[in-house]
Amino acid sequence: MSPKEEFVKVFARLSGAAALLAAVAVGVLSTASSSARTTHSKSIKPSSFTLGVVADTGGLNDHGFNHLAYMGELEAHAKLGVKYQVLVSTSSADYVPYLTKEAENGDKLVVAVGFDFTDALGQVAKEFPKTHFAIIDTPANTIPGKPKNVEGLIFKSQQSGYLVGYLSGLVSKAKHYTTVSTVGGQDIPSVTAYIAGFQAGARAADPKIKLLNAFSNNFADQAPCETLADNQIAQGSKIVFQVAGGCGLGALQAAKQHGVYGIGVDADQGYLGSYILTSALKRVNNAVFQATQDLLHGKFTGGGNLVYDVNNNGTGYGRLNAVAKPYAKQLQKLLAEIKAGKINVPTTMLVK
Amino acid sequence: MKPSRLARTGRSVLIPLITVLSAFVLAGLVMLVTGNHPLSSYGAIFDGTGLNWLFPWVTGQNRTIAAQDLQQTLVAAAPLVLTGLSVAFAFRVGLFNIGAQGQYTVASVIAVWIGTIWGGMNPVLHIVLAIVLAALIGAVWSALAGWLKANTGAHEVISTIMLNWVAIWVASYLFQEGGPLQGKQALGNPVSNTIAGNLHLPVIWGNPELQGLDVGVFLALIAAALYWAIIRRSTLGYEVRAVGHNPAAATASGMSVARSYIVTMAICGAFAGLAAGIDVFGWEFQVSSTTISTSEVGFLGIAVALLGRNTAIGTVAAALLFGALETGTAAINLNPSAINPELAPQLTLIIEGLVVLLVSTDLIAVRLLGLPRKVGWGRPQAVAAARRDTLAADDPALDPAEALRPEPGL
Repeated sequence: MSPKEEFVKVFARLSGAAALLAAVAVGVLSTASSSARTTHSKSIKPSSFTLGVVADTGGLNDHGFNHLAYMGELEAHAKLGVKYQVLVSTSSADYVPYLTKEAENGDKLVVAVGFDFTDALGQVAKEFPKTHFAIIDTPANTIPGKPKNVEGLIFKSQQSGYLVGYLSGLVSKAKHYTTVSTVGGQDIPSVTAYIAGFQAGARAADPKIKLLNAFSNNFADQAPCETLADNQIAQGSKIVFQVAGGCGLGALQAAKQHGVYGIGVDADQGYLGSYILTSALKRVNNAVFQATQDLLHGKFTGGGNLVYDVNNNGTGYGRLNAVAKPYAKQLQKLLAEIKAGKINVPTTMLVK
Repeated sequence: MKPSRLARTGRSVLIPLITVLSAFVLAGLVMLVTGNHPLSSYGAIFDGTGLNWLFPWVTGQNRTIAAQDLQQTLVAAAPLVLTGLSVAFAFRVGLFNIGAQGQYTVASVIAVWIGTIWGGMNPVLHIVLAIVLAALIGAVWSALAGWLKANTGAHEVISTIMLNWVAIWVASYLFQEGGPLQGKQALGNPVSNTIAGNLHLPVIWGNPELQGLDVGVFLALIAAALYWAIIRRSTLGYEVRAVGHNPAAATASGMSVARSYIVTMAICGAFAGLAAGIDVFGWEFQVSSTTISTSEVGFLGIAVALLGRNTAIGTVAAALLFGALETGTAAINLNPSAINPELAPQLTLIIEGLVVLLVSTDLIAVRLLGLPRKVGWGRPQAVAAARRDTLAADDPALDPAEALRPEPGL
């Protein structure tokens, strides 16, 4: 190692430690775990920066999660001038080799899309200590071995859930609906946070509303979610909120067939038709873009998390349909209240 | 006039080759229509499979990457060989085993469960025991369908599909949040416990930490040899083929069709179970609800068996092709300007789909080449056997000697 490199490394460490101390002192680093450190090193030239994304088995056309990550990547390519590549897993056997491929290719930042990559990332991050990794929806301290070169990109999706839940409550009250429902992909925090927010929001707007929920244990196949939504609609649900990725599109399909309203998830799914009340957003694209921009400027929260919420445009609601439009002002006000920290949205579901 | 042995072997190699080539040409047209250059895309796919490692002129960094890609191709091909054999063996007795996915799933559950309990056991014994039990549960699961067929006449296509769903949903339940087999460290992630490092199958090529090639591929090849030996060199195989060719004639010669169905399905399940065993102990080390619902290795086995014409060597070759396609089309993505990343995974599916489609319409190739048609492989064999059932007993086609004439190839 040349003296210069040595110096840069030591400097990077020192400045990282200094940044951490400063951050702790002013209490800004509220979400990072104690072992996390935000390093500030030399910024990187965009032309020598390749951003890699590894999509999970949902594929880039999933109208959700993977699609958004890819959009964020394209945006980073267009606006920041970084090079990019994306690999799409066809089975879980692809996770380790694809992460490896991108790390070996010299990618500066490799983004793993989703909690499914947890263990694969633990394996690969250890082998490539100089590569920066980020993982969507997964806190960095849950990665095996707690590697220092991984940052978690996590979302307060309960806020998005609360906003669309509140809207559902308002619509239900006006139209005398008795029941609203949710179809979750799996009983895991990234899903239940949405549903918890939705249920709290719906009850806040209409305390008497009946809540239904079901888990499909599937994110890919539309059929199970369609069946679950059919059952909920038969029990009187007039608004179905899907939190099950590709599977959940089946739930929205059921809503369409039975002439009730649907609410999309992650991406804005209003394109599906006028029966989509709105969508609860998780702007994975913004997270990917932001993480890239930060690293370009030499900033990386290794071992810790970057948290996306209403304040940094990570969560929110999508386009409103004709039925939801009249409540736009109320939603704006609610959004402002959440931003101001006046409403603390729960992450535990009222009705499982 | 009977064609010579050489001619028959030649034909059994030629037809799958033509099938694959036609699929590539048609997929090339798809690439052309979508604005990509077929030849350079295929070149990139070929390099991505790692098969260029075999060329001595590939050196340096490229050689390292080719080696890693080839390892992944083989890692992907190994379970496909086994699920392919699982489907192929059933075809030999005239049954259509669509249940390899379910057999694979129940075996994954057993493998990962055994692999994460009994911590103090001798590691070698532990791995062997877990893989044997995985193959055994696969066999039992599959034999259920055979038993139903033999005793109630329930069609194996229906029963194996249904058993797939039972397996998949039970397994997702076991690993889901709060499920009985969810890992202790895995809160918030529907995944099993992880198999300890000393219980991994030895990696023979590449970095063990980065999913290098494990010995599972040899187990798959041994299984293929075993398949050949059972079919060609054992009484059991003779019975299986006899029943496959003509159940009525087999019964008339004193063989038990019911027993053949049950035993055959059990062996099919053992192959699929072994596939799960080598996956779990070779590279997967844990099983999650998500991977269970998205795994397709058992279904791909059907295409592998069809393309491999239910022979041992054919199945190995077809599995290699499918494994290479999976690996190769991924690597092409490394350069997004070469082919649209949203399209690349679909390209794999298009080629695989075309292969299956063309295999099932192989008569076209037979006609084009002016070859004589011979019923003797895949589904047509079972159909033909069923049709012959309905023929009069004095039909010369029912002559057991004719029915048991050896088939071309292995």
